[in-house]
Amino acid sequence: MAYVLGIDIGSGFSKAVICKNTAILSYAIMPSGGDYKETSGKIAEIVLEKAGLSSGDISFTVATGYGAAMVDFADRSITDISCHAAGVFHIFPSVRTLIDIGAQFSKAIRLNDTGKVANFVLNEKCAGGSGKFIQVMARILHMDIENIGELSLKSVKPVEFTTGCAVFAESETVSRIAEGTLPADILAGMHKAMASKIVNLVVRLGLTKDCAITGGGAKDLGLVKAIETELNSDILIPEEPRITAALGAALLALENACSTGK
Amino acid sequence: MGDDALVSFVIGPTGPEHRKLANKVMEEVLNMAGLAFGDLTYVVATGYGRINVPFADKQVTEITCHAKGIHSLLPTVETIVDIGGQDSKCIKLKDGKVTGFVMNDKCAAGTGRFLEVIADALGVPLEELGDISLSAGKVAMISNTCTVFAEQEVTSQLAAGESVANLIAGIHEAIAVRIYAMANKLKILPDVAITGGGAKNIGLVRALEIKFGYKVLVPPDPLLTGAIGAAIVGKEAYERAAGDGEILKRSAQGLQEATFFS
Repeated sequence: MAYVLGIDIGSGFSKAVICKNTAILSYAIMPSGGDYKETSGKIAEIVLEKAGLSSGDISFTVATGYGAAMVDFADRSITDISCHAAGVFHIFPSVRTLIDIGAQFSKAIRLNDTGKVANFVLNEKCAGGSGKFIQVMARILHMDIENIGELSLKSVKPVEFTTGCAVFAESETVSRIAEGTLPADILAGMHKAMASKIVNLVVRLGLTKDCAITGGGAKDLGLVKAIETELNSDILIPEEPRITAALGAALLALENACSTGK
Repeated sequence: MGDDALVSFVIGPTGPEHRKLANKVMEEVLNMAGLAFGDLTYVVATGYGRINVPFADKQVTEITCHAKGIHSLLPTVETIVDIGGQDSKCIKLKDGKVTGFVMNDKCAAGTGRFLEVIADALGVPLEELGDISLSAGKVAMISNTCTVFAEQEVTSQLAAGESVANLIAGIHEAIAVRIYAMANKLKILPDVAITGGGAKNIGLVRALEIKFGYKVLVPPDPLLTGAIGAAIVGKEAYERAAGDGEILKRSAQGLQEATFFS
């Protein structure tokens, strides 16, 4: 029996998972903020407390994500691509295509039949397919980001944005608001624009079913529906899609703990 | 150019109501020239909103008009780089005729919008960017392409103590890289002219000169090139008709009717 810890320091949020062997014992999510070192210490403390454990009980810790290098107490750091794959394969063994939509980056990952990474494509150059686009629009529409998905689903006539650029969409939105366009239609248009960017990543990999979405973007139902329509495929969503990479990190920590005999 | 001369010109922000604005600039430019609408032989509209000029006799793309305009002002130019508020483009010309062009209107990076967003983030008026950047001690490199991410990067570099001048030099470098990559899809031949609002930014012009590897030309009123070209297209249409002994077909819409339209 082993307790293992996975920590994912993302560009927007940090996530931590403690597993007892392969079962999730506790997890935590908090904003990454400006000091990743401090955040990693704090989130480890929270997740340990939730599990009723102390740091000495942890056999192995794996760090992953944008700020993985700042987790100085980790035994190892592993790329978030590998951790996402390990995490999603544990939850849904049928998944061969994974789309992760984070605060700044989105990516598509192809898994083979044993759950290992076969290929992947990243979008890290453009805000158009990332959570940042949703944040930008939430700000102009004065909305909470959590309510955006539901409202978007009420749209009957989605706005057609002329480009997928978040900056141009922002100014187009201001003109649409002035013309009296409904926020629901603006949001549905945004989701369509995002979906087309994200599906482009999948097209480059080739869609192999089943398909899952993880990351904060998976919490936005309007976005998930738009991607389903664009891909013409059902999509699986984990119960808490944001902790997938942290879970994968914990599972890879378990493999390391077993092989090193810790 | 014989009797050809620029009699009057007006430049102002377009705003959302193109039709109203078209009438307003027409009235202003006629007033300045001391002419009435009936004195005009032919009216050519160009630019993004050219279909919203109801009294125009003809609509011509800005690509053609830029080429005509530059060829009359700077006859040695074979490559035009136009940096506008919403797009940027590169036009190749031979004897005033367009032989090829590339355009970016899909992504705000590499357009005037990028400058606007960063100027806003730095709290510097757009017109001052050029002069301030000339006092930079070094170029603070901006690693992000996307305007949204570059804005964040500039803010955090500012917080880390980087100087405003160095950062502005960095954003000029970033735009120059994007524009040069676009222009390079065509074979760039000297002389090169820069037009559009971007040409009024001396820092950006210098950064582009370094990329191109030689001096570039900037017309005295770089915002006016397309409109001058449109006037020349109109003159040529008149001359062609006169040469063939035909009567020039005019639009039925006068200036007065047009005002009822909006």
